[in-house]
Amino acid sequence: MRIHRLLSSLTWLISPVALLLLWAAVAEAGIFPRNLLVPPVQVWQTFGQLSASGELLEHLLNSLSRLGLGFGIGSLCGLLFGVLMALSKNVEIYCAPLFHTLRQIPSIALIPMFVLLFGIDETFKIIIVAKTAFFPVALAASEGVKAIPRSYFEVADVYRLRWPTFVREIALPAATPPIITGFRISLTRAWVVLVATELLAADSGLGQMIEMSRQMLRIDVVMVGIVVTGVIGFALDFSFRQLEQRLFRWQTR
Amino acid sequence: MPGLIAKSRGLLLPLLLIGAWEYLSRQDAAGAYAFVPLSTIGAALIEMLANGELLVNLLASLVRTSTGLALGIFFGVLLGASMALSNTANRLIGPLFHSVRQVPMLGWIPLIAMWFGNGEFSKVLIVSLAAFYPMVLNTYQGFSHVEVRYREVGQVLVLTPWQRLRHVLLPAALPSMATGVLHALAFAWVTAVGSELFLSSGAGLGNLMMNAEAGSRMEVIVLSVLCIGLCGYLMTLLFTLLSRHLLRWRNIR
Repeated sequence: MRIHRLLSSLTWLISPVALLLLWAAVAEAGIFPRNLLVPPVQVWQTFGQLSASGELLEHLLNSLSRLGLGFGIGSLCGLLFGVLMALSKNVEIYCAPLFHTLRQIPSIALIPMFVLLFGIDETFKIIIVAKTAFFPVALAASEGVKAIPRSYFEVADVYRLRWPTFVREIALPAATPPIITGFRISLTRAWVVLVATELLAADSGLGQMIEMSRQMLRIDVVMVGIVVTGVIGFALDFSFRQLEQRLFRWQTR
Repeated sequence: MPGLIAKSRGLLLPLLLIGAWEYLSRQDAAGAYAFVPLSTIGAALIEMLANGELLVNLLASLVRTSTGLALGIFFGVLLGASMALSNTANRLIGPLFHSVRQVPMLGWIPLIAMWFGNGEFSKVLIVSLAAFYPMVLNTYQGFSHVEVRYREVGQVLVLTPWQRLRHVLLPAALPSMATGVLHALAFAWVTAVGSELFLSSGAGLGNLMMNAEAGSRMEVIVLSVLCIGLCGYLMTLLFTLLSRHLLRWRNIR
């Protein structure tokens, strides 16, 4: 029985392994030029070299620090703005139309405009990541706070809860789950946009590494970059999902 | 009348921003370089409409989006449905699909550009991949979350597999598939513009912006960004209305 279960869990590996084998076979057969279709072994070796020389780590750290700074600024501003928009009728009346209009414009399309406005330095990348992170968090925060049921406020009134107690005991637990989801979505989007920005204009970072090696026709380095980008994106999303589950185990939904 | 005033309050902030833009453009040469005066933007709009520049590029982007979208939806529905209906297919293809999905869409561009060149084929390939992922996910979800009682009715009536698919599974999966198309539409549009930014050959709004960036013609970039945002919004709106109309037979609780 246990062996059976082990075997059936191994079937998950079939397709990735099959793809790897196919890739290796086609690359070794020499149908395509070797520098266009690099065998997986060589990609692995390149990965080893890049990480041993510290080049990969340096690019990765550059990208991640940009992501951290941009996402930090953008999401905190978004959180603040979203909560304000949910709590104050005036803020909503004055800001909501502009907010929902700007929300429609994809970040990628703003890259050329921001390059002209801010140059191609660090500022431009941080601003575009912050802009990407801002909108999903602001939206989630405003919807999350607005979705707190009226009856909760009434209960708080009945118990004559003071404002800090009300926020800590009722408002925060009620509004946090959707906000955390907003943070997760905004983080993954910010990562995508950051890599795209680095592909277009940067002197360091994963995207720049990929673009540079593309120009030098080093497909193995490009592939290493793509895989690392995917792994980081997955890790960010996965860790936020774990956080969501840990924080909100008590919810019975 | 008070309603009108309340609505016009939402216009205050956008008008202030536009005013600030115009003010900055009149300050000095550097300001006029980044913030072009509104009159220049208006003149450029008339000029680009008259010589067809805007329309040609917009049409090229739209054609690219719809071709990629059609391909992505077709293959996405095929794969999603087969993954949901056959356990074997799910086990074989699922892991590969979910691992490939982690790489940001625009990260594939350098690799695809090296393998397939920077022509029309690469762009349509990227757009269709962008439409493919959400379509597979939502189709899978739609087909695998059919209510058990519907399946049981199908068993009671001894439907053939084809009848079961046509009369039980498909109607139940359609709403989720409509959501998939909505996501696919948004992703395809953004990715089409993004791919044109990277692979600037041929016509397209992204290419128009890249050329404008090189010639630092801010007015063209502003117009393109507005055009991209507006088109994205209109497409989403149209499809939402269309799907609501087509799915009106569904009784919503």
